[in-house]
Amino acid sequence: MATVVTAEFSNMVPPLAPERAVTWPKRASAQLANGLKVVLAETHSIPKFHGELYFRAGNALVSERAPGLAEMAATVVRTGTTKRTSRQIEEDLRRLGADLGSSAGQDTSAISFAGLSEFSEPILDLVNELAREAAFPEAEFERERRQKLEEVKLERSSPGFLAGERLRKVLFGAHPYGIVSPSEKQVAAYRREDLLETYQEIYTPENALLLLVGDFDSAAMLKSIEKIFGSWQGKKPAAKESVAPPRPQGRRVYLVHNPGSVQTQILTGVHAITRKHPDWVRLGLTNSLYGGAFNSRLVMNIREDKGYTYSPRSGVSPLQQHGYFTVSAAVRNDVVAASLTEIFYELDKLRSVPVPAVELADAQNYVAGIFSMGLATQDGLLSQLSTVELNELPADYLETYRQKVRNVTSEEMLATARKYFDSANMQIVVVGERSQIEEQASLFGPLEVFDALGNTLS
Amino acid sequence: MKQLQIPIEYKTLKNGLGVVIAPDTAAPVVTLGVYYKIGFRLEPQGRSGFAHLFEHMMFQGSENAAKMQHIKLINSSGGVLNGSTMYDVTNYYEAVPSNALERVLWLEADRMRALKVDDENLKNQRDVVKEEVRVNVMNQPYGGFPWLDMPPVAFRNWANAHNFYGDFADLDAASLADVQNFFRTYYLPNNAVLLLLGDVKPDEGFVLAEKYFGGIPEGAPPPFADPAEPPQKEERRGYVEEKFGTLPAMAVGYLMPARRTPDWFAMAMLDQALHGGRAGRIHRELVLEKQVAVEADGGIDDIFGYNGPTQMTTRILHKPEYSSEQALAAFDEVLREVKEKGIASDELEQIKVKWRSDYYSTLEGGRGGYMPRYGLMHLLACFTLFDKEPGLVNSILDGFLNVKHDDIQRMADKYLRSENRAIVFRTPVSKDAKEAA
Repeated sequence: MATVVTAEFSNMVPPLAPERAVTWPKRASAQLANGLKVVLAETHSIPKFHGELYFRAGNALVSERAPGLAEMAATVVRTGTTKRTSRQIEEDLRRLGADLGSSAGQDTSAISFAGLSEFSEPILDLVNELAREAAFPEAEFERERRQKLEEVKLERSSPGFLAGERLRKVLFGAHPYGIVSPSEKQVAAYRREDLLETYQEIYTPENALLLLVGDFDSAAMLKSIEKIFGSWQGKKPAAKESVAPPRPQGRRVYLVHNPGSVQTQILTGVHAITRKHPDWVRLGLTNSLYGGAFNSRLVMNIREDKGYTYSPRSGVSPLQQHGYFTVSAAVRNDVVAASLTEIFYELDKLRSVPVPAVELADAQNYVAGIFSMGLATQDGLLSQLSTVELNELPADYLETYRQKVRNVTSEEMLATARKYFDSANMQIVVVGERSQIEEQASLFGPLEVFDALGNTLS
Repeated sequence: MKQLQIPIEYKTLKNGLGVVIAPDTAAPVVTLGVYYKIGFRLEPQGRSGFAHLFEHMMFQGSENAAKMQHIKLINSSGGVLNGSTMYDVTNYYEAVPSNALERVLWLEADRMRALKVDDENLKNQRDVVKEEVRVNVMNQPYGGFPWLDMPPVAFRNWANAHNFYGDFADLDAASLADVQNFFRTYYLPNNAVLLLLGDVKPDEGFVLAEKYFGGIPEGAPPPFADPAEPPQKEERRGYVEEKFGTLPAMAVGYLMPARRTPDWFAMAMLDQALHGGRAGRIHRELVLEKQVAVEADGGIDDIFGYNGPTQMTTRILHKPEYSSEQALAAFDEVLREVKEKGIASDELEQIKVKWRSDYYSTLEGGRGGYMPRYGLMHLLACFTLFDKEPGLVNSILDGFLNVKHDDIQRMADKYLRSENRAIVFRTPVSKDAKEAA
């Protein structure tokens, strides 16, 4: 692949050697009679394997019963089965050299695990047991509920949490995505029966996807999987219609007052697209050039030129039903207005001036290059496969992605920025000490003030 | 049991630069690192935080690559880069498609040869570092707890006890002359090791290392200020206010034996018995059984990568209905049981399996999916700089797997003593915050 070397580099810089082909490992996939989809990829870097057992439903499915219910169910899943106590589970994992986590987001629930290849069968046995025979012991549930109560209090002291929570409320309103975490009251009202019901509904083979990456023989592994998971039965839950999220028009500012802050967390956001959308590659590349890489325009501007912040970045968050684009930076209190000005300046510049060929090529090399890094580790490859399978992307997605990135033109990038870097309707959240930032923030739109609990302050 | 063996080749150039190559052609990706044997422990007095500020300056321009070109060159070649400052080493590393290997070598050699930075760069990065400190420490609940809170309580030698991120007054006082002086003193080929991992053939790698780094002159061996601590005779306690968080917290640190001694191997296994996740005794007793704590975890930070006094540290966030003394008593009870009864044989066997499994994962990754072989790089670098023996990466595991059952109780008795520990209490100041939450 020919690469443009930018003219500004010293002519001493060694040119790139010919590129070695990137060969993605073959994937074996199967669907068991009970509906469980299985995808396997062999990679023999270390004598271990990494896996995910995904269920295609999470908090959003059960949000009407209570926010965060699927997550709470996932937390309690690992605390006991009909065969093993919590302590046995933890000690068995250690004995097998395994790590395991159970979690849920808005759209999925998952049991994630990794361990030594020599113990792959007993590890899968345990995963199977958690997926089918979790017992939700009363005492374990009660402890986890009390833990969660402390956690939901504690998270309100984190500026990043407060910013993310407010932005999601603004962008998604009454849609389940509008709530990122339950309140204390909601956690206090969780009941064991609700968790159990959620578990029975979500954790079924027809709703599940098992991904394994690592040091194993695929044919033998498939046999083990058939043996272990084959007798599992269960239908997928009925799909649920969610209300349409609001599409906020015009810039507005939401200030979350965090007394004593010595820095301001800025987070701006606007609706964008999901992972399946045909514009995804173009938007990903445009984002990378804007604020998704170290050498991106935003980082160059507000970090390397102006020194306003350590950690500026932008990104596209793709959820299953909707996606959104965000820009974030934790900045010095006296440069909140200056930082927002530069954030919008760089967005608008991409909306009005075509990206020079050299800069486009640099961004394409970056996005294509880091995509291949996923090849080099088991968990990197697992995360790539997860993206493909959960979003039902084409089978050749990994093989063709880099070429798609390199096919993007400067004109397409301009069109993409105009479509998605919708600066006029971008919502602005600032978390910090009100007395130091309210005046600056109010320059950017009508402003509302909230406390850390979400109450409006006058 | 399948033991992992990493192929390793090691040479030292005439100017003293160590070169370690670990080839693996499975993916067309190469990880490259340069480690310098200087960290924040030995930064100059009156210049707290300088080693880290200096690390930022290494991205600001060198002889033939102006500011931003370091970052642009790597990103535009399809790779990622970063650096980090630790107690006794500072690293600079890249993961790139292997066709970019030569330009990364050129770049690292260019900034080992000569740093070219000005006052504006220094002012810029001083501002950036201050925001880094704010976002990670001053504006975060439990920011810097306990890694910045513990040293001034636990240690008496300035090298170990000062603020590693830097007092802002010290950061402000840092000058361009300090930058060049630090560079001349420590950033020498004879105080560094170059690591090439992944898609590189050893013969070609050594030729390229010589081509780009061979001409860099060696310097006088850097001074080594002794970081040894005067003997500790009694328990030390310190108190820090928590500005944002809602839960009272404490950290307890016990001094560790020196690296690679028999006690050190055994302490690592004891550490796993205490801190090994949800099966570890501290989490199990404090969070799952007695339910005194919301979080209880810890361990020996970067066990292979330190070269001076260090601790095994437990970090506890406990429920407000328990006093600090009650939480500490519950913690002490966990240790007392190990001191009196040791641990079960089966428990040690479980721990060894988990340790081996974790060790393999450390070698493969360690900094997320985009930074393959970070852990292997880090271990090879530390084993080369501290031990002159990168091959330890393949043999050191045996030392842990050979720890005997009796050793655990003996270690608990020998090291987990009050005169060997320091405790930091981090207590929420704002009653309002607690009630409002």
